[in-house]
Amino acid sequence: MNLLEYFTDPILRAPTLGCIFMCTAASLMGAVLFFQRRLMVSESISHAAYPGAVLGVFVLSLFGAQFEEYSFLAVLIGATISSYLGLKAISYLEKRRKIKSDPALCFALAIFFGLGILLASGLQETAPMWVSQVNSLLYGQAATLTDLHIAIYGTLALACTSFILFGFRPLQTLLFDRGFAQSIGIRTQIVERCLFWLLLLSIVAGIRSVGVILMSGMLIAPAIAARQFSNSLKTVFFLSAFFGAFSGLLGNVLSVEIALKYDQIHIPTGPMIVLVGSLVALLSLLFAPKRGVFFRIARLGLFRLRCIEENVMKGIWKKERIERSELKRLYPNSSFALFRLINQGFVFKEGKNICLTEDGRIKAGAIVRLHRLWELYLTEQLGCHAERVHHCAEEMEHILTPELEERLTKVLADPKCDPHSQPIPQRRQL
Amino acid sequence: MINPYSGVGFFEFFWVLAQRLFTLSGPLTSDEIQLAVLSCCALACGLIGPFLVLKRMSMFANSLSHTSLLGIVLVFLLFSGWGLGMLLVGALLSALLTAGLTAGLIRVFRLQEDASIGLVFTSLFAIGVILVSLYARDSHLSTEAVTGNCDALRLEDLRLSGTVALFNLTAISLFYRKLLISSFDEPFSRSVGLSVPFWRAMIFFTTALTCVGSFRAVGVLVVLALLTGPYLTARLFSHRLHHLLLLIPRIIAHPRLDTSPELSPKDRI
Repeated sequence: MNLLEYFTDPILRAPTLGCIFMCTAASLMGAVLFFQRRLMVSESISHAAYPGAVLGVFVLSLFGAQFEEYSFLAVLIGATISSYLGLKAISYLEKRRKIKSDPALCFALAIFFGLGILLASGLQETAPMWVSQVNSLLYGQAATLTDLHIAIYGTLALACTSFILFGFRPLQTLLFDRGFAQSIGIRTQIVERCLFWLLLLSIVAGIRSVGVILMSGMLIAPAIAARQFSNSLKTVFFLSAFFGAFSGLLGNVLSVEIALKYDQIHIPTGPMIVLVGSLVALLSLLFAPKRGVFFRIARLGLFRLRCIEENVMKGIWKKERIERSELKRLYPNSSFALFRLINQGFVFKEGKNICLTEDGRIKAGAIVRLHRLWELYLTEQLGCHAERVHHCAEEMEHILTPELEERLTKVLADPKCDPHSQPIPQRRQL
Repeated sequence: MINPYSGVGFFEFFWVLAQRLFTLSGPLTSDEIQLAVLSCCALACGLIGPFLVLKRMSMFANSLSHTSLLGIVLVFLLFSGWGLGMLLVGALLSALLTAGLTAGLIRVFRLQEDASIGLVFTSLFAIGVILVSLYARDSHLSTEAVTGNCDALRLEDLRLSGTVALFNLTAISLFYRKLLISSFDEPFSRSVGLSVPFWRAMIFFTTALTCVGSFRAVGVLVVLALLTGPYLTARLFSHRLHHLLLLIPRIIAHPRLDTSPELSPKDRI
C-alpha cells in the first residue's frame, strides 16, 4: 500500500497519526530520563499502569455497554492514578523501608502488573465482552484508534514538545547540574514536577498503541539512537523525537501490511514499533559518525596504518635506500602501507631498492625531528634517563601535532642535537 | 473422579486439603497440582532471589524475566515440546542472550548500564512476542506464556518445577558459603580465590532456569515478584542470610490458591 494512504485513508489515518504522536511524546521524555540515568523508572510506570487501566474498564462496565466508546478515557484515568500510586509505592519502599532503588522498582512493577492480570481474569468472569479492551493494552493495538484518540495524543505530544521548547534553558541547566540550577534561581521543583507529570502522561497514553510491557522500549531506544549522533542537548531532543516518530510510523505500517498480506497473522503494534526502534538504535550504535563502533574501529585502523607508513618512511630515511626484502623483514604487514606511500608520491622504486622522493624526505625528516625533540624533552625537562626515552618517543612521534612541535622547539631553545648526539633535522616547509 | 474441592469455600478448602493429606487418599487432583507447582516455583524463586538482590542484579533479573520469553519460544520452535532438557536449553539460551548482549552493549558500544539493559530486554521481548504471534498456530504456546495459566497445569509440570526447586535447594545448600562470601565481600572472595564472575554467572543461570521453569504457572513477568518479594519481606524479620533463607520457605508456604498466583507471598501474610 502506498505510504501516503496511511495519512489520507480514513481508517488507517487515525492509527498512523496516533502512533506517531504518542511515540514522539514518549521518546522526548525518554531522552530526559536517559540523561538523568533513570530509564528503568519508565519500565515501572508502564507496568504499574495496567491494574488501574483494568479497573477503569471494570468500573465503566458496571454502567452498561453503551459507554464502550468512552473506555479509553476510563483507561487513561485509571492508568494515570495507578502508575502514580506505583511511583509513590516505590518512593515509600526506598525512603521509609531503606530498600535500594533497583529491587524496589522490580518489586513494585511485578506486584502491580500481577495485580493487573488478576483483575483482568476477574473481569473475564464478570464482563467478558470488555476483556478484549483490556487484553489489547498488554501488547498494544493501534488499529482501533479513532480521531478522538488522535486529538488527545496530539495535544500530549504538543505539550511535551512545547515544554521542551519553551523550558529548554531551565531544563538544560537542570539536567546537567541540579545544584547550579538551584543556585541561579531556577525553580527546579516546578520543572521537575512538570517533567514528572508529562512523563507519566506520555507513558500512560502510549500503552494504548505500544502496550504496558513494551512501553519502556519506546522511551529507551530513540534516546540511545539520538545520543549517538550528537553531543548537543538540542540536537539529541530533536533527533530522539524524529526517531520516535519514525519507528511509530514504520512499526504501525509493518503491522498493518503483515495483517493485510497474511490473513491469519495478527502481530500487535507494540512489538513491531519497539523492534523498529531497537533496530534504529542498533544501526546508530554501529554506524553513527564519531561515536559509532564502525567508525571507531575504522579510525583505529587508519591510525595504525599511518603509524606503519611513518615507521617505513623513517626506516628508509635512516638508510637512504633499502632493499625490498629487508623492508619486509623489518616491517611486517607493511605492503599496503608501501603501496599507499608510492601512490602518494613519497616513495619510489628503483630496481630492487626503495627510495624516498624529495617530498618523502621532508616528511620523514619531520617525523624524525618529532622523535628526537621528544627524546630531548624527556631527558632535559623531565629528567628521564637517555637510555629509556626511545620507546616512549617511538609512540609520541605519531601523536605530536605541529603546535606541540612549535612549543617543544621553544622550550628546548631550538636544539640541534638529541640526547644520543644525533642531529635533529631542521624544520622545513612542506 | 469427582474433584473433592468443587464447590468448596475458601476456608473449607484447607479442611479438605488437610483431610486428604492426612489420609493420603486418591490421586492428586488438579487443585493440588496447582498448589504444589506454585509452591515449588515460589520456593525456587525465593531461594535464588536474595542473592540477586544482594549482588545488585535485580535489574538483570527484571531483564531475564522478559527475555526468558524468547528462550521459551525458541525452544518451542526447535523441539515443539516441553521437558527437562528443553527447559535447560531454554534457560541457557535466554541467559546467554541476555548476558552476552547486555555486556556487549556496555563494553563494545560503551552504553550506560541502564540503557543497555533496557534496550536488550525490550527488543528481545518484542522479538519473542512477534514469534509467538507468528507461530502460535503451529505450537502449543500462546501469549499465555506471559501471564501464566494455572488451570492448564498437569502432573508433568509438577515434576519439572519440583526438579527446579530441588536443583536450587541443593545448589544453594552445597555452595552456601561460597555464595555468601561472594555476595557480601567481593574483594575478600577474590583474595580467598573465589571467582566473582563465575559465581555471578552461576546465579544468573540459576535465575534463568527458575524463570523458564515457572513460566507455565505464573508467566515470565510475574516471576520477578517471586524473586524480589520474599527477600524484601524476610528482610523485615532478620538480617542474617541463613535465617533469611530459612524464613523464605515459611513465608511462601502460605497457601496460594485458585487463579491468583500473581499476588506475591507478601500479600498473603
